[in-house]
Amino acid sequence: MPKIEGTERIDPYRLRVPKGFVSGMKTEGIIYVDEILEEGLEIESVRQVANVATLPGIVGKSLAMPDIHTGYGFPIGGVAAFDAEEGIISPGGVGYDINCGVRLLRSNLNYEEVKPKIRELVDLLYTHIPSGVGSTGKIKLSHKDEREIVKKGAIWAVEQGFGDAEDLHRIESHGCLDGADPDAISSKAYERGRSQQGTLGSGNHFLEVQYVAEVFEPEIANHMGLWKGQVTIMIHTGSRGFGHQICDDYVKIMLQALKKYDIELPDKELACVPFRSKEAQQYFSAMKGAANYAWANRQCLTHWTREIFFKLFKISPKQLAMTVVFDVAHNIAKEEFHEINGKRKRLIVHRKGATRAFPKGHPELPDCYKDIGQPVLIPGDMGRVSFVLVGLTKALEETFGSICHGAGRVLSRNQAIKQAKGRSIKEELAERGIIVRASGKETLAEEMPDAYKDVSNVVDVVHNAGLAMKVVKLKPLGVIKG
Amino acid sequence: MSYRIIDVSGDIGIRAEGKTLEECFIESALGLYSLVTDLEKVDLIEEIEINLTEQSIEDLLICFLNELIFHFDAYGFLGKSVFLKINETYLRGKIKGEIFNPQKHERRLLVKAATYHNLKLKKENSLFVAEIIFDI
Repeated sequence: MPKIEGTERIDPYRLRVPKGFVSGMKTEGIIYVDEILEEGLEIESVRQVANVATLPGIVGKSLAMPDIHTGYGFPIGGVAAFDAEEGIISPGGVGYDINCGVRLLRSNLNYEEVKPKIRELVDLLYTHIPSGVGSTGKIKLSHKDEREIVKKGAIWAVEQGFGDAEDLHRIESHGCLDGADPDAISSKAYERGRSQQGTLGSGNHFLEVQYVAEVFEPEIANHMGLWKGQVTIMIHTGSRGFGHQICDDYVKIMLQALKKYDIELPDKELACVPFRSKEAQQYFSAMKGAANYAWANRQCLTHWTREIFFKLFKISPKQLAMTVVFDVAHNIAKEEFHEINGKRKRLIVHRKGATRAFPKGHPELPDCYKDIGQPVLIPGDMGRVSFVLVGLTKALEETFGSICHGAGRVLSRNQAIKQAKGRSIKEELAERGIIVRASGKETLAEEMPDAYKDVSNVVDVVHNAGLAMKVVKLKPLGVIKG
Repeated sequence: MSYRIIDVSGDIGIRAEGKTLEECFIESALGLYSLVTDLEKVDLIEEIEINLTEQSIEDLLICFLNELIFHFDAYGFLGKSVFLKINETYLRGKIKGEIFNPQKHERRLLVKAATYHNLKLKKENSLFVAEIIFDI
């Protein structure tokens, strides 16, 4: 019996939310969960999957990944595609942190070389990478700089000397979405973004030193430049206050425009407008600007990470070979072409807490990954593991080429703080060989491993459902958080 | 007049109560600031002014809180003492506080935005009650 009345199990990895679960559904919902993850499924998040299915112009099904939890309007872990001619775009389907995403760097160092220096390394990273509430970056931007970032994304960062042009080939959309319009962005967003470029942020954002603990697909791993025992760096951050303000501005604009377009919503956070409307085009070009800001941000953090490694390990850039494996967005809306019932259709694919996972041969993949498929980076909590996968054809057929984005919370922040009372999360992690530093007083308690689902269960569902294939498992050595 | 934290799975909320609508808004604002830092350590040094006109009273509350989040995120302004006048859907506010100093002020949560998710603003018996969920 399904845990949530009205849902139906299709197979061990898929749960159906049939039409009629809420009134007005234009299509059914599919949630990718096994029976273990179904236990933790919240009714409100299932209702959100159903609510998304009521929106105008939805194509295919309203989807949710195994890391699903309740979000605003759309569930976290949600994927929904809308017809570019007759459908909508919604800021709530992207989220407040536009292009929150993950970047993975490889290196030529191995576990044994880094382990003895891990405390020193974490201290240096913590000192040199701005993080936490109220922190501002080392880069002060003029208004002109910000407009350049909006248009150029990671290319701007490389032009300023942060990293190499080579890095750009291994970023989703090459680190820059075309069509970002600096004039579609409010002065408030520019004010918020002025001193936040090159900052990690807070909450679940992190920079982690890891090592490859297990290789599932040696050939593919080798193609990505990954091998067992190797040290990697994972960076998880987004567009910071710049993106938050853009989302906030456009939720407001769209709520005011609902009447004009005769759209009725079960939840205000689903605020949306027809994609062809002026408001939609402005939001989309502002959102692209925030996505570009986020790619520039991860590029700047990459540069400083490399500098710290050169300094501490007294090693040349060539010896270190800290190159980008890939960089993915997991809060974004993209204009993509997909085959629907044998016809090629232009769609607006919303991925909110979901990651693009295109299979080998897809025209949007960079040449280096055309033969193996797109690397998909799935971080876990700071005490357990993270994964690299590759997208498979089935994802393109079923989920618009998308999979999950992380572990997903099981405890609220307050529950986590309560459970951590009397414990030192820092020491517990140190006993397991993981050195952590965080600026916020309660950050470690809120973000402790027990607060999250086990990412291994989440990844197993997308792997077993045939959407993506596990390539390597990464274990943390050191983590900095805001 | 009071506020308290509401537990939600991914994020965090505030329940604020006041004898008047103004008091309810003020408590919502102080609740928000208490998520960001320890208000005990904030002194009354700077002042900001906020003027807003929105379509509904719910919009006014969300926009007011998002305005405070903007002033913190862009300029580091932390409020501690809030004076408000609300006339239907028009709000005029003066907020006294201090610019965030990491050496002096505790770092708590980074609040991205106030959301409409499960938003409540109503009169319960003789009190105005607001419940707001914030994106963290």
